[in-house]
Amino acid sequence: MHINEHPIMNNHFNKDITFTYQGQTFIAREGQTLAAALFANGIKKLGVSRKFHKPRGLFCANGRCTSCFVTVNGLDHVLSCMTLVEEGMVIEANNSDPTVRSGQN
Amino acid sequence: MVKIKTDILIIGSGPAGLNAAYTAASHGANVIIVDEAITIGGQLKQQTQILNNLPGEFNSQRGFSLVDDFYERLKSLPITFLLRHTMIGIYKNNSIGVTNGKETFPITYKKLIIATGAAEEATIFPGWTLPGVMTIGAAQILLNREHVLPGNEAIILGFNEFSLEVGKQLESCGVNIKAIVAKGNYDVELFHEAKNVGIRVVSNATIISATGVNEVEKVVLNIDGIEEEHMVDLVCIGNRLSPILEAFEILSCQLAYQEDLGGLFPKYYNSLETTNTSVYVAGNAAGITNIGGILITGEIAAWNALYSLELLEYSQFKNRSRALWEQLYRIEESQVFKARIAAIKETYKDESLALPPFVELLLEEC
Repeated sequence: MHINEHPIMNNHFNKDITFTYQGQTFIAREGQTLAAALFANGIKKLGVSRKFHKPRGLFCANGRCTSCFVTVNGLDHVLSCMTLVEEGMVIEANNSDPTVRSGQN
Repeated sequence: MVKIKTDILIIGSGPAGLNAAYTAASHGANVIIVDEAITIGGQLKQQTQILNNLPGEFNSQRGFSLVDDFYERLKSLPITFLLRHTMIGIYKNNSIGVTNGKETFPITYKKLIIATGAAEEATIFPGWTLPGVMTIGAAQILLNREHVLPGNEAIILGFNEFSLEVGKQLESCGVNIKAIVAKGNYDVELFHEAKNVGIRVVSNATIISATGVNEVEKVVLNIDGIEEEHMVDLVCIGNRLSPILEAFEILSCQLAYQEDLGGLFPKYYNSLETTNTSVYVAGNAAGITNIGGILITGEIAAWNALYSLELLEYSQFKNRSRALWEQLYRIEESQVFKARIAAIKETYKDESLALPPFVELLLEEC
């Protein structure tokens, strides 16, 4: 849930944008990270662990624990807590190992 | 490929890095700051509590407004900010390798100040990896930086000044804190503070398990041998902080251990120079301390870097250095300061160097 009236801070978000997660469209505030935008829309599970496929989500929010990986516009293993959401972004859950690219890509 | 040269390169744009940058750039050095985050300020950005133990030149204010303060101080100085850039290695000629995820390039420096700060340690229990279980710092980031409610019904594991502070901030946004779980016996003063704001603290307690299908739904506590169940959608882990060390490891700086400094940290002298010449440490990376200590160590590292670049007169340097160490002595918790001075003494001993009389004096004082 987005906080509309913060008890101490002014609202520093002034524009809503849309993105998709697993094919569904959601609204975020411009300036939010992917992790926060997803969390605000009630999406906490962002992927599964490699070996036992246990649910994983935001843990440290600081780019260190790598528990919040998602796929963004086809790019795997993007840290959702360190990346800002952008209009039209296509986000998918981190449910398997990334495909290893070859050549000049 | 971009080729960059600078007098002083700073890794980390939290309070220590920013104060080091301010000091260095306002005394004639060119400065580059590298930070992997999107904006400057490090962990200050989501601190809504009023910071009282700031050095004299700063007004008492909330953490996030101190970032604005720094922005004003820094904007007219010769500082280049490389945000969304990460230090990932060193080249053969000692240049620092930095990447933005697309390209990687070297930065050549004369002096390097590492102010990578600290990370929250996890506390492990069955179910700790479930979504909805996060560090107390992560909950604070969601709340104050992202303006997103991290949950509605919460348990906080770990009772300390910071976990109580964030607990209060969560409550003020409508989160119901069901309990703060304290491992042993709690600090009486802190307990009264929690009681005054109506937050329940349970002592001699642990989390037996957190369970849920795709996210945390239920927590079972053991409170002094008695089990208690809570339906929750948020569990915050409020453990201690420890210095972030990767940059020092990359640079082969020697490490030491001091419980009161947060565990492993890079060895350093009273110049805050590490065992790798020309590499300095500042802020929580030099041992976990309060905001005052973080800011002052940033300034100490910068003064020493400036002096060795011959940008300062000896008398100016010496007087300010002394004043800063005395200020640090007054502002830091005494056990942290003691551990710091003991650590410096160890470094001199390990390198078979004589302890400067000034440090000797500080040792006697504490």
